[in-house]
Amino acid sequence: MAEKIKLFVNGVEVEVEAKKNLIDAISAVGIEIPHLCYHPALGADGNCRMCLVGIEDGRPPLVPACKTPAREGMKVLLDAEHIKKIQHDVMELELINHPIDCPVCDQAGECKLQDYYMSYDQKESRMTVPQVTKGKKLDFGSGVIHDQERCVVCGRCVRFCRQITKTGELGAINRSDDTRINIFPGRPLNNRYALNVVDLCPVGAMTSSDFRFKQRVWFLKKAPGICHGCAKGCNITIDHNRQKYEDDIIYRFRPLLNKQVNGYFICDEGRLSYKQENDGRLIEARLSTQPRSIDEILTASTKEIDRAEKIVISLSPNCSLEQMITIKALSEKLGATLTGYSEGYIKQDDGDDFLIQDDKSANRAGLQLLEIDNSRDTFTGAIREADLLINFNNNLLLSFAEKEISKLLKGTKVITVTSHDTPFTTMADMAIPVASFSEYAGTVVNSDNILQSFGKAITKNIDLDDISGIAARLGSPLQTPGERFAALQQIISALNGFEPDNIPAEGLKLKESEAANVTA
Amino acid sequence: MSLLDYFMIALRVSFSAFIPLCFVAVCVWMERRGAGYFQDRSGPNRANICGFRAAGLVQNLSDGIKLAFKEDMISDHIKHKFFFVIAPVIVFFTAVVSFAVVPYADTLILGDSSYLMQGIPVDLGILWFLALAGFSVYGIILAGWSSSNKYGILGGLRSAAQVISYEIPMGLALVSLLVVYGTVNLNEIAQFQGKLLFGFIPMWGAILQPLSMIIFIIAAFAECNRTPFDLAEGESEIVAGFHVEYSAMKFAVFFLGEYVAMFASSAIIITLFFGGYQVPFLSTDSLIRYAKPIAFLLMITLPLFMYFFAGWIRRSNISHYPRENDPRVFEATIYIKCFWGLIVLLELILLVILFCESGGSAAAIFVALLQVCTFLLKVTMMIFVYIWVRWTIPRFRYDQLQKLGWQVLLPLALLNIFITSAVVVALS
Amino acid sequence: MSATVKTIERKGSSLREKLYLIEIAKGMATTFGHLFRNLKDNRKLYVRHYPEVQPEIPARWRGRQRLTTHEDGTVKCVACFMCQTNCPANCIMIEAGERLDGKAEKMPVKFNIDLLECIYCGYCVEACPLDAIRMDTGIFSVTDNNRDSFVLGLKELLATPGAYSEEEYKKGGA
Repeated sequence: MAEKIKLFVNGVEVEVEAKKNLIDAISAVGIEIPHLCYHPALGADGNCRMCLVGIEDGRPPLVPACKTPAREGMKVLLDAEHIKKIQHDVMELELINHPIDCPVCDQAGECKLQDYYMSYDQKESRMTVPQVTKGKKLDFGSGVIHDQERCVVCGRCVRFCRQITKTGELGAINRSDDTRINIFPGRPLNNRYALNVVDLCPVGAMTSSDFRFKQRVWFLKKAPGICHGCAKGCNITIDHNRQKYEDDIIYRFRPLLNKQVNGYFICDEGRLSYKQENDGRLIEARLSTQPRSIDEILTASTKEIDRAEKIVISLSPNCSLEQMITIKALSEKLGATLTGYSEGYIKQDDGDDFLIQDDKSANRAGLQLLEIDNSRDTFTGAIREADLLINFNNNLLLSFAEKEISKLLKGTKVITVTSHDTPFTTMADMAIPVASFSEYAGTVVNSDNILQSFGKAITKNIDLDDISGIAARLGSPLQTPGERFAALQQIISALNGFEPDNIPAEGLKLKESEAANVTA
Repeated sequence: MSLLDYFMIALRVSFSAFIPLCFVAVCVWMERRGAGYFQDRSGPNRANICGFRAAGLVQNLSDGIKLAFKEDMISDHIKHKFFFVIAPVIVFFTAVVSFAVVPYADTLILGDSSYLMQGIPVDLGILWFLALAGFSVYGIILAGWSSSNKYGILGGLRSAAQVISYEIPMGLALVSLLVVYGTVNLNEIAQFQGKLLFGFIPMWGAILQPLSMIIFIIAAFAECNRTPFDLAEGESEIVAGFHVEYSAMKFAVFFLGEYVAMFASSAIIITLFFGGYQVPFLSTDSLIRYAKPIAFLLMITLPLFMYFFAGWIRRSNISHYPRENDPRVFEATIYIKCFWGLIVLLELILLVILFCESGGSAAAIFVALLQVCTFLLKVTMMIFVYIWVRWTIPRFRYDQLQKLGWQVLLPLALLNIFITSAVVVALS
Repeated sequence: MSATVKTIERKGSSLREKLYLIEIAKGMATTFGHLFRNLKDNRKLYVRHYPEVQPEIPARWRGRQRLTTHEDGTVKCVACFMCQTNCPANCIMIEAGERLDGKAEKMPVKFNIDLLECIYCGYCVEACPLDAIRMDTGIFSVTDNNRDSFVLGLKELLATPGAYSEEEYKKGGA
């Protein structure tokens, strides 16, 4: 636990964490100091003057809270008249040249300027001179669209490109009321984290061309989740909405703060991976290419399993630990060869030292944790002798060329349990649709051996079973979520004392012994 | 039996069976247009065939067609489908049959043979009516119960309790009346009322037994489930009561039954209290004797009446908004021509009477027709009273209904019996 | 605070009223008076002969919706979703898109109003920041014989003109 200090806010004593600035320290106890330019990840800049507070110890009457560390016994003034006046004045200054086009602005609803106007200003503009016109709808590249008129020049985006991505594409040009954010001529935003500036922008100056005009933010329901785009396991907010008479659809992923894993940001690739949750999904069960009911296919699959002599079960490294252990139990019961071979999910040299990883699967660490074989030889060896392959969402076409896999699978019946309608699905004899990661709850282990759990975010109109449900219906001994978690607890000691729904939000760091198991 | 006997039986039975049904159309029309005029609206006046609206009667036709062609559905939750289907039939059947004993003209004497002018020539008379009126409530109770619907069962229960409460005052009111008349045969009762009291007042039941009349009419309203006693339907509290689950023809049969029952009970009321088929001040004998002068008088009054009626049609049948070549004026002209044609036909018939021998069969038939007309006119007026009351008096609350039946009507009816009996005994 | 007591006279307690029959007769006389009056001259009926005689619709009447246009006939709506957000019946369904003619950044690509669900409360008109939706068409009777035709699209909403002049509409309190 961090060191605690006591200070006074508006004469009321509060206990806050030491070694933090006033904004962070006081907001932790629920008192908000308005700020536009300060962001915890980017540090204090002190240019917006919105966070000016009074401190009664002989200092000048106004000090920026973002630059002031919290000290023992400090007397912070927030509700004095002169503080209120300066907040109102700053708001008025920011709004002088703001176009106030909230009806067409995507930020409306989550806009700091809107919120602060309602809380600290609420006055008509006194300006009679024409507003300064600047560039609108400037394409900054990487899917970022900039509106210079809406910009309050807080510089968060500029600092993000300098400090975090260290690419420095953005800069502020000109002076005073003509100041604007721009790119260097012919050098657009070109980094894999560029869309984070959309989240960082406190107003609607930076918008994402992907989300632009799709949906008003107040319609969106927010649910926490884990990105399955790579082995990092970044925490995300899944913004989804069910429009009238339509299906529940995800509109965007946003980063969710988890200091242990991803901090405040996610990569653009992960951010846009929401599209795979909406599109290209398999929704009906198939017998070769004919649509059938899921029950019918499951009955047919059970018959195939009874008939088959040698079975190979392959599973995807994206499966949650619960799914993996259910499938493992199924394969032990059937005496099948279990393989998690999925080399194709790893993209060599794609990762960087910030968030992006080479491994594009979410739970490969889980495969090793549950001691599931991962090697190509085991897979190819087993598949040659087998007469039935049950494939759980593992897109083998990533690891093999099409010719190669069809040669391998000659004479082998293939039952694929999959969330997406990929070319491999069409190769299978039977296909069973399952929920994708936004539609089930589970736990995954990331590349840093941090175990994280996530809940079910989306309920589609056709609420499909997840992989562990299908495995259970195919005969796995682990029938209920409780049984699966208990089985996991026997293997992972860190889970002892936890229930599936009270695993800490920042994740559990697995112990050395288990980590050793992973690297082995 | 001669051919004439067979013909007369067929004629009487068909009259008893079809006149109530034909009158349903008139009743519904009177109810709807009447309701409109009572409430300063116009009532249904749009449905037409080639622009002819027949004062709104065409609306009945279209409603009838609609009901006949609607999907006749029975909900799945109804377990006793047989009872469900039979219920409206009971209501309808009892209503039609209860009219069968009502005489609509005096005994017709043609040569040597005489014919009772009622559908079923039985001596049961008023007892037949009481029995069937009590039976018709089974239809309602059955409908309410077999609907498996809480509103339906509430309607059925209300109806059952209501009938029990009002049969008794009704029966007791009749007792005092029968003491006066000394018979239960309705034809004899009607003949009795043809006499004159003190030589100038018709000896109608209404004059001899006013209290009995009031009690009987109130009870008859209750028996017919008409406002202010329509708690079995009570659309504002129990939706539609017993017929909430009924649709299409099954509903139509309920509907018909209700209006036929209204017709039948009007017929009974006028037979018991308003001289039945008797023309006021003119008994059957004097009518036959003065057939020719009466026919002559009618020949003069009919065109006179028609003249004013034509004027009223012309005034009323116009569009009330600016319209070029108002088609309703043409419509009115056609109606007036039709009516004049009818009058000419009637004049011809009356002319035949004038040239026939007096006191013969022709005079007897003429008098019978006259009495039938009188009877139907009186019934129509009684039906009008039903409608009039419906659009004037609001529905009773259930406790008020029971209180009225048991605490007011029953003691009054008993009191009436004592007084009547005492007077009758004293006079004899 | 002292309560004001108002004693209300109980009606119907006199003997004559309790007899009930006299009061009924009085009531029936009243209704018969109406019947007689109307039979004598049916022009006195308090009836509007709809549909031949149409009611007069005041400018404040909330009729069927329409979308207003700029002078050159292009849609004023910028798809801000305020009407959809406010609609208590959830009968407005908008899809937004990019606008390229320079009048605004955003415009509706789809703007559906399901009239079978609309309750004609007028909140959409109140909410609109640009006066782009109005209920001044004067259309109060929407009839058809299939459900789909009750869902008005952008085209129908733009095609209907307003029934009043701008001054009349403004005078109506808009």
